[in-house]
Amino acid sequence: MIEALIVFLALAVIFGLLLGYAKIKFKVEGNPVADQIDNILPQTQCGQCGFPGCRPYAEALAEGKSEVNLCVPGGHEVMIQISEITHREPKEMDETKAPPDEPMVAVIDEDLCIGCVHCIKACPVDAIVGATKMMHTVIEKECTGCELCVPVCPVDCIDMVPQRPTPQTWHWPEPIANSLERRS
Amino acid sequence: MNALVERKPLKHRLIAWLGKLYPMAKRWLYHFHGGVFPKYHKSLSNRHPLLEDYIPDLLTLPVQQHLGVATEPLVQVGDRVLKYQRIADTNKGLSAPIHAPTSGYVTAIEPRILPHPSGLPGLCILIEPDGEDQAQPLTPAKSPATPQALKKLVHEAGIVGMGGAGFPTFAKIPDQRGCIEHLIINGAECEPFITCDDQLMQHKAQAIWRGAEIVAQSLGIPRVLCGIEDNKSQAIEAMNDALSGLSTASHEQTSFEVHPVATVYPMGGQEQLTQELLHLEIPSDKHAIEVGVLMMNVATLAAIAEAADEGKPLISRYVTVSGMGLEHPFNANVLLGTSFQALAEKASPKTALTYPLIQGGPMMGISMHSNNVPVIKTTNCVLANPPEAVEPAMPCIRCGECMDACPIQLLPQQLYWHSRSHEYDKVKDLSVFDCIECGCCSFVCPSHIPLVQYYRHAKSEIVRIEKEDAAAELAKQRHEFKQARIEKAEKAKKARLQAKKDAVKKQAAGKKPATGAAAAKARAAAAAKKAAAAKTTNQSETSPSEKPAQTAREKAMAAAKARAQKAKNQADNAPNTDSATTSTAEDKRKAAMAAAKKRAKTRQKTETGASPLKASDNAQSESDDKRQRAMNAAKQASKKGESSVSQEAGTKADTTAPTQDKRKAAMEAAKKRAKARQMQQTTPDQTESDQASDTED
Repeated sequence: MIEALIVFLALAVIFGLLLGYAKIKFKVEGNPVADQIDNILPQTQCGQCGFPGCRPYAEALAEGKSEVNLCVPGGHEVMIQISEITHREPKEMDETKAPPDEPMVAVIDEDLCIGCVHCIKACPVDAIVGATKMMHTVIEKECTGCELCVPVCPVDCIDMVPQRPTPQTWHWPEPIANSLERRS
Repeated sequence: MNALVERKPLKHRLIAWLGKLYPMAKRWLYHFHGGVFPKYHKSLSNRHPLLEDYIPDLLTLPVQQHLGVATEPLVQVGDRVLKYQRIADTNKGLSAPIHAPTSGYVTAIEPRILPHPSGLPGLCILIEPDGEDQAQPLTPAKSPATPQALKKLVHEAGIVGMGGAGFPTFAKIPDQRGCIEHLIINGAECEPFITCDDQLMQHKAQAIWRGAEIVAQSLGIPRVLCGIEDNKSQAIEAMNDALSGLSTASHEQTSFEVHPVATVYPMGGQEQLTQELLHLEIPSDKHAIEVGVLMMNVATLAAIAEAADEGKPLISRYVTVSGMGLEHPFNANVLLGTSFQALAEKASPKTALTYPLIQGGPMMGISMHSNNVPVIKTTNCVLANPPEAVEPAMPCIRCGECMDACPIQLLPQQLYWHSRSHEYDKVKDLSVFDCIECGCCSFVCPSHIPLVQYYRHAKSEIVRIEKEDAAAELAKQRHEFKQARIEKAEKAKKARLQAKKDAVKKQAAGKKPATGAAAAKARAAAAAKKAAAAKTTNQSETSPSEKPAQTAREKAMAAAKARAQKAKNQADNAPNTDSATTSTAEDKRKAAMAAAKKRAKTRQKTETGASPLKASDNAQSESDDKRQRAMNAAKQASKKGESSVSQEAGTKADTTAPTQDKRKAAMEAAKKRAKARQMQQTTPDQTESDQASDTED
């Protein structure tokens, strides 16, 4: 009887220590669900979800504090992925805010720019270069098309322009499967 | 080679006989997997003479005729250009310059539809030939001896891979001698209808061998193999005959061989021909160069020979104009920039050319969005096949024919399923990027499924997804960096303020200990301070802005008033101008500034001699300034004090004690005041710091 008690007590102590050690050793920093969601968000940092950037929205989602259908640029696809990760019901997207059909980039009309640096501060990804009272310009490669610079411009010199495909960026279209083929 | 020719007929006969029972027996004739046997129709264009010296009315030269970076025009609208003149170039990356094919005037530099599957326009230089064909004098380069010289020569002549890929040839050439063991001359030309390489081998066999000799000598290649499909007997003969034209010296250094190979599609693929001639499979993660193989098209080698011996840049190429819709198909040495339409019209089409022309052969060719697109460096064929009724695609019956036909042993069926259901990661895992888009799978598919279209779409979709992911990652990094930068700037600002505060505190603390001769001065200064402190508290009491903090200070004020009365008695002359300075300097700069402003106001009323304080002074200079004044005041006070000291010489110790006491009290009062002011000023302080950050940005 007493041996059994001792044995089990010893086992309990050993496993307790093991668990305690494992908790310290394999501690996960941050919320892994938030990371997962952050990875599927489009990273435009546009703030249309009401959070200051994609990461804060992902964190709010991971804590269950936010709706799944707030990411406008991600659209329906991202919403479905989010609801899969968070195990929540998919919700319809807000129809008044539709994502643009084609990727857009901001373009500054350099003749109108007065060099007020407002847009530079608004840009979440530092994609605008310029200095006070100097002309500004957008680094097209780094622009996420978030439109945050458009409302802050005092002279309305920023336009959102769709990125037209060139022969280099063009993609082969998907073949249209006819009804016969689709039956398979 | 002789052994091959002797042995082959027997094997051929045997397999031809077996083929009646089992059609796929033909696949035993070569060494790679799969392959198909389409109808070739080569005699259509091969039986007609070669057309030379045709100058069209207009030449359209796209600034990008190769893989890589587009060139930039070096001419302007209205310029007269000479034949061989360089008209577009760039140094921005992988590219090949473009030369004027004949003399004429530049009529426009504008976007035109390109011979590209997208049908999108791209920048083109339009030249109207003047018919004189006036050439710029050519400077024949010396035969290149090093790989670098060869690369330079090839680049300046604007030579790109003329088999169809359009990869700038100079970029394909290795930098070191001796790392290439085999140079393979690709004369297989496996696509149906196309005979331009066949014609080139018949007409310019010498030039092809000369080109091979130049490349072999500059790179130190010991073996040159020329693979020609055995349905081009005349070309094989011509190439064999021309071998004797090479110098004996180069024959000693390098062995030149002609290898007839089986006629099967896609024998002309780089991997397939390498496998056939060397029994060597190029790993999918390596370039051919890494396994010691360099492959060049016959047309590319002929262009290299012309560039080296005559200094001619690439301005024309052999093009097959063929197809079931043409009465007199032909081959021609065509100037780059000639339109497809003009060439097809020359071959007397059977019906009006209302259907799209095809660039390339029927297997891999691309139908054009406009028939007016120009011939570019990679165009080997203009095909006019009237559209036939397309068999509708049927469901996949999983027969596995495509798998048997695939020359690189992929799993076309799996690729198809996954592409159709948009599972691009799985498509990628099945090595879709090794697919050469030869079209064998679509050719054999009994359900007529456009399999290659699915793979092309899947490939570009994977590329797009990867690009988007990279862009998202970049955006994320840049956003995080911006966030971190803002945080850092804020921290730095706080630290700066803290440092300033500490510095001022230290100064104040440094004044406290006063010994020996300075003791009297210090005492007097302290008295002056007290007086001033009392004064400022009085002032602040009256100022409406300080009201909310009053309760906190009332006790201290009462005490201070009493002390101030005493101090006034002691240090009567002490000018009230100066300086609560040391004490006020203890709080923030803003607090000091506010106090100073108030003081300045009252001073303006009472005094005229004191210099007005500038609110904009920084804390250090301000407090220094004030300290100076305080010292002056203290001197005066000490003079007065001296008399009292002389009177009560023995009681020095007694007087020090009360003055120290008083000083402490004053300090306390000042501290309290500072706190109250800080609390009150938090709101304006914030706005001010925001402004500060604005200017910093």
